Amino acid sequence: MAATLCGTLLAKPGWLPLTQCVRVRHMSKSVTRHRRPMHIIKQKLMAVTEYIPPKRLAAGAYPPQNQKVEVESGLVLLLKKEVKKVFQDCKMIAVVQNNASNSEDMLTLRHRLHKHSLTVKFFPNQVMRSFLKDSEFCNMAPLFIGPTVLIVSKQGKVKEMLSTLRGSPQMVLLGACIDDTLLSAQGVQHYSKLPSVSVVQGELVSGLTLLSSRTASLLQHHPARLSALLQQYVSQQGAPATEPRPQEGEGEGAAA
Amino acid sequence: MMSLLKNTISCWRTHGLQGSCIQSHMRILFAGIKTYDIPPDYSDVVLPDKPKLKFLNKVPNFKKAKKEKKKLRDIQGPAQAANTFTVGSYAIVALGGGYIHWGHIEMIRLTINRKMDVRSTFAKWRINAPYKPITRKGLGQRMGGGKGAIDHYVTPVRCGRLIVEVGGRVELGEVEPILTEVAKKLPFPARVVSRESLAAMHAEQAEKEQNNQNPWTFREVACGNMLGIRKVLSPLDLHNHGRFTGKFHLPGRV
Repeated sequence: MAATLCGTLLAKPGWLPLTQCVRVRHMSKSVTRHRRPMHIIKQKLMAVTEYIPPKRLAAGAYPPQNQKVEVESGLVLLLKKEVKKVFQDCKMIAVVQNNASNSEDMLTLRHRLHKHSLTVKFFPNQVMRSFLKDSEFCNMAPLFIGPTVLIVSKQGKVKEMLSTLRGSPQMVLLGACIDDTLLSAQGVQHYSKLPSVSVVQGELVSGLTLLSSRTASLLQHHPARLSALLQQYVSQQGAPATEPRPQEGEGEGAAA
Repeated sequence: MMSLLKNTISCWRTHGLQGSCIQSHMRILFAGIKTYDIPPDYSDVVLPDKPKLKFLNKVPNFKKAKKEKKKLRDIQGPAQAANTFTVGSYAIVALGGGYIHWGHIEMIRLTINRKMDVRSTFAKWRINAPYKPITRKGLGQRMGGGKGAIDHYVTPVRCGRLIVEVGGRVELGEVEPILTEVAKKLPFPARVVSRESLAAMHAEQAEKEQNNQNPWTFREVACGNMLGIRKVLSPLDLHNHGRFTGKFHLPGRV
């Protein structure tokens, strides 16, 4: 600011205040219809001293000064209780967007889902958000925008749900919480392709038993074949090693 | 016989079609939650005997009318008087200076008295009857020959002054259209305010002054006469801090 004002206000070297002819009219100032033109230096002063609002702080950095104390109605409390029960009981909670499906479609969908003991639940989004805000599922809150419904089941029947939803294009899967794990729509698809737990366990057990059974079958072979195998093992391992005896013993121990 | 059967079948079909049409337009209805506001309490409101706006004289009855100077100061800067509520709860507030003529006063009076509900509302003037004489020279007169004769009287109004107050057992929504219609016709920018909104306006201004992030303020520069800036400032700028130029209010300045 100083620089701008200095240039205009400070006296030039050869400036004499008395000899300078100052043309200032002291009469006829009473214009009230329009704004009188401002002096250029006053204009600069006005520009320099404009109001600058404080920078916006990050949201949630400070608690709001006027916190609204909202008294929740009885209906909201009841609905919240129901939501809590659903979240406690159910293994799978899928959030589905309901895009203008009429009652007939909804009825058929509910019927189809009911065959697999899946249930469609309607809760107001306000209730859902106020419930999620305090619970451990708070990361699900962004899913509840617009008309949403919940599809819940006590057993995680993901495949059945996906196949049923495929038949009704107006219902769009947004995400799901399966076994306390948040999954996106893509994640749910991947989850449904996984084999069941018992199958995976069986595979693991069979893989483990295969090794031991093969070792046992090797040991049951003819001793000449066994010694040939061991000799081949020693010759394979012996090239870098200096003492083959302990390695052979090790190999035998490993084989046993 | 066959034709009759056909007719019934076609009838059935069309009915079935209509039914499906209606069903396809149906939406699932959600039960919403509605909480009603508590209605305002008007138990402490006392209506005056004469709720309407009084008639204001066009000409003050002086024994000897005296010509005055222009005295533009009485419309410059912020209002010092009648800038807060007294009995009412809604008002028209001036957002700039200016002169109210008797014609404006009559317009306000007639409009508000005609449109407001007398049983539940009252209105009160916050301005005086026209008292400032304005002189004019007669038509076709040559210049010179001294000051002209008094032509009419006006009421000077400064920025922030309340013009009319309205109160009673009414909400803002009921009287706002009437007051807005009046406020639009005044010779300066004017707004309809309630007690709360006026307090909010003042609070916002105070908050702006407190939280201004600009280290250079008009007040400091002008009062400190930095670099001889007083040469181009008016003496009123020392009081108004650049928030007014003449009768005009500059919004958004601190």
